[in-house]
Amino acid sequence: MKLVELVLLVTLILSIALLLTFAYMYLTPTSEIRNLAVFYLVTTYNPQLPFYTVNSPEAVTAIVWDYRGLDTLFETAVFYLALIAALALARKLYVEATPEFNKGNEGLSVIVKTVTKITSPMIIAVGASIGLHGHLTPGGGFQGGATIAVAPMIIIIVFSVLYLLTKRVTTEKMLLLRSLGLIGIGLTTISAFIIGLTAGRTTYVFQNMPKFDAPLGLPDKLNGVLISGTLWFFNLFEMLAVASGFTMAFIVLMLVKKEG
Amino acid sequence: MTLDFINTYLMLILLSSLLVNVVLTIYGIFFKPHYTKKVIALTILSDTLNTFTVYIGYRRWVNELNPRPPILTVPPTTESIIEFAERAVDPLPQALVLTAVVIGLAVTLFLVFLGYILYAHYKTLDMREIRKLKG
Repeated sequence: MKLVELVLLVTLILSIALLLTFAYMYLTPTSEIRNLAVFYLVTTYNPQLPFYTVNSPEAVTAIVWDYRGLDTLFETAVFYLALIAALALARKLYVEATPEFNKGNEGLSVIVKTVTKITSPMIIAVGASIGLHGHLTPGGGFQGGATIAVAPMIIIIVFSVLYLLTKRVTTEKMLLLRSLGLIGIGLTTISAFIIGLTAGRTTYVFQNMPKFDAPLGLPDKLNGVLISGTLWFFNLFEMLAVASGFTMAFIVLMLVKKEG
Repeated sequence: MTLDFINTYLMLILLSSLLVNVVLTIYGIFFKPHYTKKVIALTILSDTLNTFTVYIGYRRWVNELNPRPPILTVPPTTESIIEFAERAVDPLPQALVLTAVVIGLAVTLFLVFLGYILYAHYKTLDMREIRKLKG
């Protein structure tokens, strides 16, 4: 065995040992959780604490887009950069041309095509439901967008990628939708700040509900329906960005020529 | 066979299988020669670590009552919020895993395109061959 491989193996064993040492207190979960988690659970939907609460019954979405919203903003940036890097790598490997004539002979059998025609609108509806109810039920923009991106993938496999291009689902349009989603996320980030500027009161960037020193904020209910301030808008725009970004990547992936 | 013993036993089985998975996938990333197998091992490793993160936030059964997901399903009175905080699991690891999954998918797409470039350049994805070719 070479020296490099030996060093690698020893490093592997030592790092697993390190992981076990640090994870010792979590090996079997206890009945208590950390104080930070108790704080999140108590304040996530608690009208008795108006300056602490997010007014969202779903604690995970409250953490993702309010308590630790800046983290998620930068993770969206990482997602954006990873997809841009992937498309930049493939930029000379594919040709996107709309075919003039489509006989419908491509792809799988009639049964599979009919089932896909029925189920793909359902998939998109389920994804939209997961994304737009992210502040009430398990889910959110990321999961809803990933669910919606399944529908174009099935269509590509069943009908061939040219079918999507004849339906005018091109990478330019997906890029436009994705930019719309990212611009929406940016605008939602500074929405409370703009409200404060126009009203002449103190508000902060990335603020959602009213705070002690910034009594203005976004409403938690719109026409009697719970939207949890910025959370609903963040979920909507993140869903747009994720779904269109993955659709664009799938189209490019299927158009890449095999010989390069 | 109390409920407590069964809980501990099942959690230890889960934990040891996660650790075996970590070791196997790290071995796959470093010692498997083919690029695609390295990518597959990397995705399994990230899924294993996500599961481990969610496992850290789990909570033991209290008084024969199972832990609940961190979602308030009843009107937010003081009693229901106290009962919720006593039984719900830790939401923070789930929030961190949520974004990590989608970003992992985007990074996997990037690696797939990188594999295309590698294949177009070297006509092979075997790392031993690519190392021999030197540039």
